[in-house]
Amino acid sequence: MTPPLPILPTTVIGSYSMPEWLERAKNEYLSRRLSKRDLDEMHDSVRKAALKDQETAGIDIVSDGEAQRDNMIDYFTERMPGVQVDLGSKRFYYDFYDSIVRSKLATGTLGLSEEARFLGRFTDHTSKISISGPHTLVKRIQNKFYDSEEAFALDLGRVLNLELKELVRAGATQIQIDEPYYSGFPEDLPWAIKAINAMVEGVTANITLHVCYGNRYGKPSFEGSYKFLFPAILQAKINTVSMEFARRGEDDLQLFKEFNVPFSVGIGVIDVKTNEVESAGFVADRIRRALEVIPAERLVITPDCGLVRLHRDVAFGKLSAMVEGTRTVRKELGR
Amino acid sequence: MIVHINHISQSKKPRNGQRSPQSEMAGLVTGSLMSLVEDGVLDAKMAPSLRIHLDWIQYKTNFRDPVMVRRTTSSQGQALPLAEIAIDLRQADATGLPVALARAVKSLDAGPESNVDNHLYLDEYRPYRDCLIWSFNRLFWRYLGDWENASGKGFEAALPGGSSDANHPQAVSDSVADFWTLLRDLETRGQLPAEIFGLEIGVGSGARAAAWLDRFKALDEQCGTNFYSRLHFILGDYSPTSLERALAAVAHHGDHVSGVPLDALNPFKSLTAHRFKVMYVHLTNVYDNLPFDDIVRRDGKLYLVEVRAYLNGPLVDQLTADFGITRADIPGMVKTLLEGGPYAVFEGEKGVAFWRRLWDTFKLEERLRVLDDREEDHVPPGLSKTHLEDLLGEAPDDVRFHISRGAGESFANTLPLLHPRGFLQVQDIFVSEMDDYRKGFKGPGKLDGSLVTWVNGALLRAVGARAGYDVHFAPFPYRPGTKTSILYTTQRD
Repeated sequence: MTPPLPILPTTVIGSYSMPEWLERAKNEYLSRRLSKRDLDEMHDSVRKAALKDQETAGIDIVSDGEAQRDNMIDYFTERMPGVQVDLGSKRFYYDFYDSIVRSKLATGTLGLSEEARFLGRFTDHTSKISISGPHTLVKRIQNKFYDSEEAFALDLGRVLNLELKELVRAGATQIQIDEPYYSGFPEDLPWAIKAINAMVEGVTANITLHVCYGNRYGKPSFEGSYKFLFPAILQAKINTVSMEFARRGEDDLQLFKEFNVPFSVGIGVIDVKTNEVESAGFVADRIRRALEVIPAERLVITPDCGLVRLHRDVAFGKLSAMVEGTRTVRKELGR
Repeated sequence: MIVHINHISQSKKPRNGQRSPQSEMAGLVTGSLMSLVEDGVLDAKMAPSLRIHLDWIQYKTNFRDPVMVRRTTSSQGQALPLAEIAIDLRQADATGLPVALARAVKSLDAGPESNVDNHLYLDEYRPYRDCLIWSFNRLFWRYLGDWENASGKGFEAALPGGSSDANHPQAVSDSVADFWTLLRDLETRGQLPAEIFGLEIGVGSGARAAAWLDRFKALDEQCGTNFYSRLHFILGDYSPTSLERALAAVAHHGDHVSGVPLDALNPFKSLTAHRFKVMYVHLTNVYDNLPFDDIVRRDGKLYLVEVRAYLNGPLVDQLTADFGITRADIPGMVKTLLEGGPYAVFEGEKGVAFWRRLWDTFKLEERLRVLDDREEDHVPPGLSKTHLEDLLGEAPDDVRFHISRGAGESFANTLPLLHPRGFLQVQDIFVSEMDDYRKGFKGPGKLDGSLVTWVNGALLRAVGARAGYDVHFAPFPYRPGTKTSILYTTQRD
């Protein structure tokens, strides 16, 4: 029985610390020196450890840590019907495969429901699954078929919509869509939101849209202000928008005063690009400042982005501080 | 006998069809060694496995005697039977070479502590990163003015080209143009930050920063882009003397410039508040003056090169005569010099003269210590063994190469300062491919008072790849014949 979520629920963005030994193993696999079976076994162990760490830290909505994903692109393009992937095009696991679409995407499953079943088997906590959004995939897959990026994104939305429904059938209740490339291509936002809406149409899960400034290699890919999201994002049929504030500062929180958003807001209170572990007091201060503009009922507490680039002890320390800081504020709210 | 020719160049051959001096010397080495076998000096059983390294050391003053025996030890420092002989064909003279080779061969039998050449050792065996040369290097930058007074020329004049490539007007102008273009593109996309930060690490005389800022201001005015008003340029250096000198050179840029004392190994530590904010970072001839280690791979096994400083017998005699001291005094005086500076040894100019003489004359004896799989001390801070595995994966089987730990550490600790669209530009001497280590001597060499070593660019490429940057090397096109190249980063997908 999954426990009910408290006020100010805490969650992760998706990825958890990637052990260096697993990185090596992934490279060994690419060099044909390790079998898929052995690698899968390692992935399973690391995913279970990630769940355990999150549960111990007190995270309310956990993920499997995504150790089985090389990065946020290849995991999906490899499974996407109709996308051709050159499996010889990378030596280092974290690199991107070269991928290309030459014809209309076929309708078929990506097989992500295994993740939902895994979570159902190995945790009693509310869990979530993250999936890269159509805009992000469009920016990485070479398009040799569709007339425009918009057309490609909308068709990706159609295929991913079926996948989300599969996930729900497999037990998923919380689904997050990651769109880090919005920040680099703000001019795409009108059609990018349309693609999101196509993706989530009729999906009966709680949908979060995560928009950050990138975390590839533990550094931002873009910089700027979240102003570009407004007002276009107000049209998104989502339950929560999740954004990074810990590293960038909280100036953009004021946007939520200016615009009456119809969904909850996930605020990043943990900087995932530094090994310095925040104190619980520091986290609590950040939450208090967010509460000045967003009601507690619509606030979700998260790290800025995935924890993949942090050492495990650091990642665990940060999550523990996040939970402790959140609990402090809950007490202050009497909830 | 296994002969390694560690220098490959087509430029040495005279035009008259004769053999080059180095070809002649190479022939003399192999001929002399065969004679030593025939004469029974070199054990015929040992000869087949004896490795001979023929080098051509490009720096006129360096840390090697013409003939050197390199022994090997276990990871614990116990002597192993394997040894090799290295000859610098540039320093060797035809008359003395056969005798020097014979002495080297005989010393192989005499054991590691035999000291047949009556060397005066100034230190214990240590990895390059910890050896005495770095104490001398620090002393140089600390007492730069005193050295320059004694030598009668500024340190830039002591560089191989006689001046710093950093200050080349066209190089500066092109660098400014590239930067301005970047700013304009970001401005067009509405992504240019309100404050634009630039950073120069290792400021030299300040001439480069001044020229760059002057040119940037002029271009900005010419184009009417108003970027200069948003620019703040940081000068970072660990030498207060250099920083003061450089700030004076850019004083006319007022509040647009500030100086920050920083350790080149960790610029991030002094500039944490600028994380992901700096649009442009530039360095010239900084990495080639930072600590390194040397690793040797022979027959699949890795060795760490360890060195100990010494003065050879005849030079000790000259030193004692010229400075009125005894042989026994010297080690203590070297220690005093490196800890307290030249005036702690002798008063006035004599102290600097003693320092200069020592710098010119001391040499380094090398040995190869087996690198235990579990050791990590040779891994630069901030990097991991995985970086080195990446590097070895692309290296030839039989190679000696630098781990430019200082450069790697500095590079890794500079990248976090870069704005996502910013770039880092380094003018230095780079070995961009691991295979190039088999084709020529890559340092260290002595400059006038300080030292220089080629930088392992392949290592920096591996570091960059893990940090999200592609690292490129371009020739420095502004001075014909220069060995300088330009490293620059681009954001990795």
